[in-house]
Amino acid sequence: MSVVERAIETAAKAYLRAPKLFGVPTGIEGLDDMFFTVEVEDGRPVKKPLGGIPYRSVLNLTGVPDTGKSLMVEQFAVTQASLGYPVCFVTVESPANFVAGGLKKRAEAMGIDWEESKERIILVDAASYRELREELPTLLKTLAHVISEYDVKNSVVDSITGLFEAREVMARSIVREVFNFLKKWGQTAILISQKRSAHGAETAEAAGGYAVSHILDGTIVLNKELITTRWQEQLYGSPIGGVVRTIRIDGCRMTGHDTSTHLLYITELGLVKVGPSLEELRRRMRGGGE
Amino acid sequence: MMVVVGPVREDPNKLAMKVFMKALEILGGPRKLIEYRRLTWLPSLMTACYAVVLKEFYHKTTDDIARELGISEGTVRNIMASDEEAVMKKIKGELTEEEFKTHVAGGLAKLAWREVKRRVDEHTAFIESSREALEAVEGPMWAVRTLMAIKGTDFPIERAEALEEKLRGIKAYGFDLGEVARELEYPIRTPAELLRKLSAKLKEKRGA
Repeated sequence: MSVVERAIETAAKAYLRAPKLFGVPTGIEGLDDMFFTVEVEDGRPVKKPLGGIPYRSVLNLTGVPDTGKSLMVEQFAVTQASLGYPVCFVTVESPANFVAGGLKKRAEAMGIDWEESKERIILVDAASYRELREELPTLLKTLAHVISEYDVKNSVVDSITGLFEAREVMARSIVREVFNFLKKWGQTAILISQKRSAHGAETAEAAGGYAVSHILDGTIVLNKELITTRWQEQLYGSPIGGVVRTIRIDGCRMTGHDTSTHLLYITELGLVKVGPSLEELRRRMRGGGE
Repeated sequence: MMVVVGPVREDPNKLAMKVFMKALEILGGPRKLIEYRRLTWLPSLMTACYAVVLKEFYHKTTDDIARELGISEGTVRNIMASDEEAVMKKIKGELTEEEFKTHVAGGLAKLAWREVKRRVDEHTAFIESSREALEAVEGPMWAVRTLMAIKGTDFPIERAEALEEKLRGIKAYGFDLGEVARELEYPIRTPAELLRKLSAKLKEKRGA
């Protein structure tokens, strides 16, 4: 049978191969319940939280600097490792020893036994090895080795943008190839992409730009705002001069999801957690004022 | 200790050579090259094959390719812009040596790349569907892991060394498949033949 013939199949057959839909816990408080499924019970649709990001989804996590992207994937990695599932962590920005330090801190802040979990996180150091950043076949061959050798189920790339630095013309084909690879190897993955501050929060670029968000299964957008106006002060309930971070799921083709914008907090211990939606916040503030 | 992994290199030389050999095959093989006195084409063809591999497989930019191969950006652009179909017509029309310009070598290299990629895709699709089928029927884990480990391997496999490394660490009935690979008969033409031979050898060893 030729490749073309293999590529054509009926929906009925393809459905048999569809992975079961369930949530993979991220360890980020409030995020897991932003994904849900809808089941029909007694003829009525019932919304059920997924309890994590969809199994075998490859998600784009994007935002301007200092919004908490790397902290979030570190939380995801140590959470999955603590549950017994090996994680492949591709670091493109910081060398492996720095990432290891961050992971240890995250585990300690989350009350996870680092000594017990650390062997289940396999670091691929693309920050230190140029060929891993610049030669995609070498990166994919390395990932294939790691996934089969360590029976890896979850992957993280921090960041995918680092793979097409100075050659943005190649972004689409590089992202497509990484996406296809991770799907083929059955990975539940989070890929970080960097958003430039010049990209407005509501533009297409806000969801990663360079077609990253079009190719991947879904996008989570983080944002950061400096409170400079009375209007912002009222909207976020934060004083002028303060910084507010937000999170929203820009889209996810694999499951239902909360589309509203939520506040995002980074605790003193460096843990990211999702706060109330802006709507809920406004309701609370109105309630408090009455 | 945390596990930190360095690069497992994918060597462009190997793939460029494969594309080059395929291009020679399209030209009619070594004998035809000698008969028509086309041996002077070969350096341009090799360059074009390497450039196509760097572009299509390694996603390198024109600038990167020019620097890596020591040719001009214009030459890289000519190679990439060549028309594969027109090249085939020219080859059939008994082209003279002087007429074999960069873009003809480029067209040939692109044709050869397409053919090599098609073969690789077919093998990958076969390995994928076999793995899915084995997983679906909860087939032996050693077979699933073998298929995962040999992804990207070129068939036929001529020698045990190519397999030994990839299969080392996969256990079946207490035997290490890296060691079992040493005892198989070569060449092995397809992934299915590999599983068959491994299965037979395991059966033999368990009976022994």
